[in-house]
Amino acid sequence: MMDIINNFLIPFLDIKLLSLVAVGTFAGIYIGAIPGLSVTMAVSILISFTFSWDVYPAISLMIGIYMGGVYGGSRTAILLNIPGAPSAIATALDGFPMAQRGEAGEAIGITTVMSFFGGLVGIIVLATAAPSVSAFAIRFQPRDYMLLAVLGILLVGSLSGDSLVKGVFAGAMGLMIGSIGLDPLTMDQRFTFGSTAMMGGISFIAVMIGMFGVSEALIQLHSMKTPGVKQVINRIVPSFGTIRKYLPLSLQSSAIGVIIGALPGTGGDIAALMAYDHAKRITKNPEVPFGKGAREGLVAPETANNAAVGGAFIPMMTLGIPGDSVTAIMIGALFIHGLHPGPMLMVEQPHMFWFIVGCLTLANVFMLIFGLTGIKIFVKVVEMPRTVLIPLILLLSIVGAYAVNNSLTDVYWMLGFGVLGYFMRLYGYSLGPVILGVILSRLLDDNWRRAIISDQESLPRLLHGIVTSPLSLTLFLAVIFIFISKTPLWAMIRRARA
Amino acid sequence: MQSKTPRRPGELVFNLFVIAASLFLFYSAYGIAGFDALSSAGAIPMITTALMTLCGLLILRENLRKPSITAEKIERDILPMPVIVTIIAIAAYALLLKPLGFIPTSFLFLLGLMKLFSGRSWAFSIAAAAGSVALIYVIFRLIFTVLMPQGVVPESEILAAIGHLLGGAK
Repeated sequence: MMDIINNFLIPFLDIKLLSLVAVGTFAGIYIGAIPGLSVTMAVSILISFTFSWDVYPAISLMIGIYMGGVYGGSRTAILLNIPGAPSAIATALDGFPMAQRGEAGEAIGITTVMSFFGGLVGIIVLATAAPSVSAFAIRFQPRDYMLLAVLGILLVGSLSGDSLVKGVFAGAMGLMIGSIGLDPLTMDQRFTFGSTAMMGGISFIAVMIGMFGVSEALIQLHSMKTPGVKQVINRIVPSFGTIRKYLPLSLQSSAIGVIIGALPGTGGDIAALMAYDHAKRITKNPEVPFGKGAREGLVAPETANNAAVGGAFIPMMTLGIPGDSVTAIMIGALFIHGLHPGPMLMVEQPHMFWFIVGCLTLANVFMLIFGLTGIKIFVKVVEMPRTVLIPLILLLSIVGAYAVNNSLTDVYWMLGFGVLGYFMRLYGYSLGPVILGVILSRLLDDNWRRAIISDQESLPRLLHGIVTSPLSLTLFLAVIFIFISKTPLWAMIRRARA
Repeated sequence: MQSKTPRRPGELVFNLFVIAASLFLFYSAYGIAGFDALSSAGAIPMITTALMTLCGLLILRENLRKPSITAEKIERDILPMPVIVTIIAIAAYALLLKPLGFIPTSFLFLLGLMKLFSGRSWAFSIAAAAGSVALIYVIFRLIFTVLMPQGVVPESEILAAIGHLLGGAK
């Protein structure tokens, strides 16, 4: 128990780590808020600059950025009606009408305090549930991991983008990219085309920066001249009465956020929309109608999307399965620092788990402090013209891709994946499954081979093993259900039942 | 599984490219170990590239059924000039980084793009580009200690001279 407390308190007691969490949270709020910058983009670029650091400082900074970024998206949703992150889409529905009525300060105050509550609930659930999930996951067979990886990719693919087929294509492409290089078991060359430079594989960071940094910046070039909207900020800190009034809704939304966040493939954006819908259904007589500036319409999504952060860390830390593209990148960051998220992390390096919980808690506190202060400067920063911002993002992306291996080849890979990602975005392919595929490639490949070798290379034996194990069968049925639920067959069944 | 959005300009071409690339990769995956064993190094690559090809074909079928958007133009809505210029600028940056070095290449890159995108005066663009390079240099080169090519600017000598001056001032 003392070990847990000691590790939890490391970021609180070490001034350097404390400062890094603070700087990360502060920067994250701005990054999340500035349209054109995203948390995914920021963390992927940041990995390349911090990969030579010790693990504690690097993780402290990244967690700060992640936590601040999820909250920061709400700022521009309220002030400019432009959600800084997908998780703030629901916030704009009532936040912007409040700002138009001259209540921008109050809206920001409510979102900050409620985000803090949501974040706290998410962290408490993470700290209490993760050890049990991890203990359970130790009993997983290789086939279960294989099925979990397929489930994760399929869920992310089915919930984002235009269609399931495009999602599956993107996931398969990610798995293919992840398998490039020498096979670690047999040393066979895979997709290297005889090039020695490709034997080590393609830098995961170059793929990530290209897909999320460059392609996003190229898309932003279509709407460079979008004018900013000036806002006047009034009272920010909400009254105790306001907080007490919305606390029950905040707790309900936190529960939605944690559960949705913990499911692979669903993140803060879906949690926020579901909580908004929940608030609409349970609030019988709002003071202001929903969509016109209802405070309940701010409380529910903001609590839920921050609670989803703690939720998303549960499968990430205990199973090594990222829930969405941001947690996929966080897993990538942990890998780069020599950590292997999964059930064994809690056994071999429990200190790291409690250190991360400590960083999340600290970042949540800093989010509250920074969220309620410095709004006037903030308004000036988010008005920075995109014509200056986009070239800067591109330069940071290039420097980031180059810095990892001091290699220009990585810059060309970044550009190639940036252009590919740009066209994929334009034509309705989601990029989340690509990065998830790259991250899960090794896990899927290793466990497929372990599973099939232990079943003497026999598919019928593997299938028999799946149907006779309750856990494998549940996962297998979940994969089948998700697939069928996205086909016209499912729509026909539902129509017939209706 | 079907999407109701209409087909955008160039979508079919991209789709055909995706199918061709997937087929080529499938052929390459087959070359790893053929149908040797289910646990071979080529098994997952073959499954993934076969899946990519199959999905590419399904997307093609879907695309052929969709009506095309006539209001969109490829040169305005898909590949506008700023996007083409930016892609060329990144490639040029990579080419010039080693011979010219980080500071001049970054300055030229930012100056060119900022001037082109903002359409504001040269003075504004030069000031914004120089300020941005200085900020990035301080943060990433000095604080994060990221090593970037020095090129034509004698960076280490300048840094040593500044260090000497500051040391002398003490």
